[in-house]
Amino acid sequence: MSQTPAVDVTDLTVAYGEKPVLWDVDLEVPPGVLMAIVGPNGAGKTTLIRTILGMVKPAAGQALVYGRPYEQQRRRVAYVPQRGSVDWDFPTSVLDVVLMGRYGRLGWIRRPGAADREAALVALEQVGMSELAGRQISQLSGGQQQRVFLARALVQHADVYFMDEPFQGVDATTERAIVELLRSLRSDGRTVVAVHHDLQTVTEYFDQVTLMNVRRIASGPVDEVFTEENLRRTYGGRAAVFGRNGA
Amino acid sequence: MLDLFDDYTLRTVALGSAALGITSGALGTFAVLRRQSLLGDAISHAALPGVAIAFLLTGSKAPLVLVAGAALAGFLGTLLVMGIVRTTRVKYDSALGIVLSVFFGFGLVLLTFIQRRPDASQAGLDRFLFGQAAGLLRRDLVTMAILGGIALGVMLLVWKELKLLAFDPDYGTSLGYPMRALDVLLTSLLVVAIVIGLQTVGVVLMAAMVIAPAAAARQWTDRLGLGALLAACFGALAGIVGTVLSTETERLPTGPTIVLCVTAIVLVSLLAAGRRGLIWRELRGRRDRRRLRLAAVLTDLYELERQHPEAHRGHSAAVLSVMSGGAQPSLEELERRGDVRRLGDDAWELTETGREKAET
Repeated sequence: MSQTPAVDVTDLTVAYGEKPVLWDVDLEVPPGVLMAIVGPNGAGKTTLIRTILGMVKPAAGQALVYGRPYEQQRRRVAYVPQRGSVDWDFPTSVLDVVLMGRYGRLGWIRRPGAADREAALVALEQVGMSELAGRQISQLSGGQQQRVFLARALVQHADVYFMDEPFQGVDATTERAIVELLRSLRSDGRTVVAVHHDLQTVTEYFDQVTLMNVRRIASGPVDEVFTEENLRRTYGGRAAVFGRNGA
Repeated sequence: MLDLFDDYTLRTVALGSAALGITSGALGTFAVLRRQSLLGDAISHAALPGVAIAFLLTGSKAPLVLVAGAALAGFLGTLLVMGIVRTTRVKYDSALGIVLSVFFGFGLVLLTFIQRRPDASQAGLDRFLFGQAAGLLRRDLVTMAILGGIALGVMLLVWKELKLLAFDPDYGTSLGYPMRALDVLLTSLLVVAIVIGLQTVGVVLMAAMVIAPAAAARQWTDRLGLGALLAACFGALAGIVGTVLSTETERLPTGPTIVLCVTAIVLVSLLAAGRRGLIWRELRGRRDRRRLRLAAVLTDLYELERQHPEAHRGHSAAVLSVMSGGAQPSLEELERRGDVRRLGDDAWELTETGREKAET
C-alpha cells in the first residue's frame, strides 16, 4: 500500500498525572474506510480522538492527517463530539448549530452568509432533519440531537470524520439514518473513525476496527481482527460471548 | 417626569446607569450561559483594592485612574482563580471564594487606612462599597460610555466566536479557534462591564447587574441575540429607575436600590414570562389535569353504557366518582360542552357527540 493513510498515529502516549491513559498507541487508517474504535470504559478511546485533534497534549508520539500535522489539515477534518458534551438548553436553533460547522472556513469576525445557510440546509436534508431547521435545540430528542451534530460536521465538507459514540442512546430510526450516512460518506471516498460501544454491530457497520485498552490490542479489517481472542485480550475475558467471528 | 430629566445631575446619573446596565446586561448573558455567574461577583470584589491602590499611588480621583486600578485588580483576581484551579486541587467555586474574600478584605483594609489619613482628599472613595450615583459627574459618564461602547463593540465583532465558546468550546478548538484566548477576552470584557458600574452600584452588589438581567431575559426568549438585547434593556431599565429613586431620596445608597429594581424584573419574568413562566406553567398544568379528568369521566360513562346496554336511565355521579373520583364538576362541565346530558336529578348519559369522543 503506497497510499498515504488518512490518519497515521505513531507511539502516541498520554498521561493524566502519573496514570497513563494512552500507552504507545499506533493507528493507521487507510482512506475511504469506516473504522470503529472499540474498547472498555476508560480505555482511552475518547482521549485518542481528542489527542489527534489537538485538544489533549500528548507526552510522546505524533498524529498525522494525510501525512501532515493536524494543525495544517484542519479543513480536511471534521469532529462530532459526544452528544452529552454540550448544554442542549442553550438558546439557539438547529440551523444555528449546523452553521457552526462553517465557522472554520469563515475565519474570524465574518458571519455566515446565504451560501453557508444553503450548505447547512443540504446537510440537514442529508440527516433527514430539514423540517426542523428552525426548531429550538432544547426540543430535540436524543437521536435528533445526534443528527444535528452530524449535520454540523457534514457542512465542513471534510475528508476525515472523527465521531465520538455517534450511536450512543439514539433511536432505531436515527441509527439506520447514521449507518446510511456513514456508507454514503464511504462511497464518496471519505474516511470515518468512530468510537463505538455496541460490539454486536461492529461487523455490520464498519470495515475496520481498532481494539484498544490503554494500549492498542489489534487493528485492521474487521474479519481479521474482530476475533474472540482479541476481544478477550481487550476486555479481559468478560466479553468473549460477544465475539461473532470467533476463530 | 419630564421635569426630572431636565435636571442636569439627574440626566447624567440616569445616562450613566443606562450605560452600565446595557453593558453588564449584554455581557452577563454569556456569563450566565457559561455558568460563570459567580465570576462576576469575584471580579467586582477583587476590584476594590485596585481602586484604593490607584488612589494611593496617584492621589487622583479621576474616573479613568480609579477604573483602571479596578480593572487591573479585577483581572488579576480572575487570573488568580484560573491559576489556582489549574495548578492545585482546589475546585473552581472554592477558588472564587478565596480570591473574592482575600481581595475584598485587603481592599477594606486599604480603604480604612486611606480614610484615617489627615487630608480630606480621600472623601468619596467609600462610595465604591455600596455605590453612590448622586456624585456622578459628566467626566464619569463619558468614561463609562466610551469603555462600555468599546466592550459592546468587541462583543458584537466576535459574536460568532463567543457563541462557539459558550456552546461548544471543544468543537471550537477542533475548528482551530484559540478557545482559551477567547475565554480570556470574554473575561476581560466582563471586567470592563463590571468596573464601569462600580462607582454607581458598588463592589458588593455589582454581580447582580451581571446575573439578574440575563437570567430574566432567558425567561422570555430562546434566541441568543434577542436574549442579550433584552438583558441590556432590563439592565438599563433597572439602572435608570434605581439611580433616579436613590438620587431623589436622601441617603439612599444606589447599589441596593438598583438591585431591588432588577430583582423586581427577575420576579416578574419568572412568574409571567411565556412558556417558561411559572404562571403559564401552572395554568397549563391545570388545563391538562382538567382535560384528563373530563376524558376519564367520559370513558367511564361509555364503559358503563356498554355494560348496561338495556338501560336508558343514565348513571349517577356517585358511581362515576368511585371510578375516577370527584365526577360531579366534570359532569357539569361536560354537560356545558354538550357531551353528556342530565336525565334526572343524578342520572347522566352520553350524547351522540360524547359517545363519538369516548370511542376515539
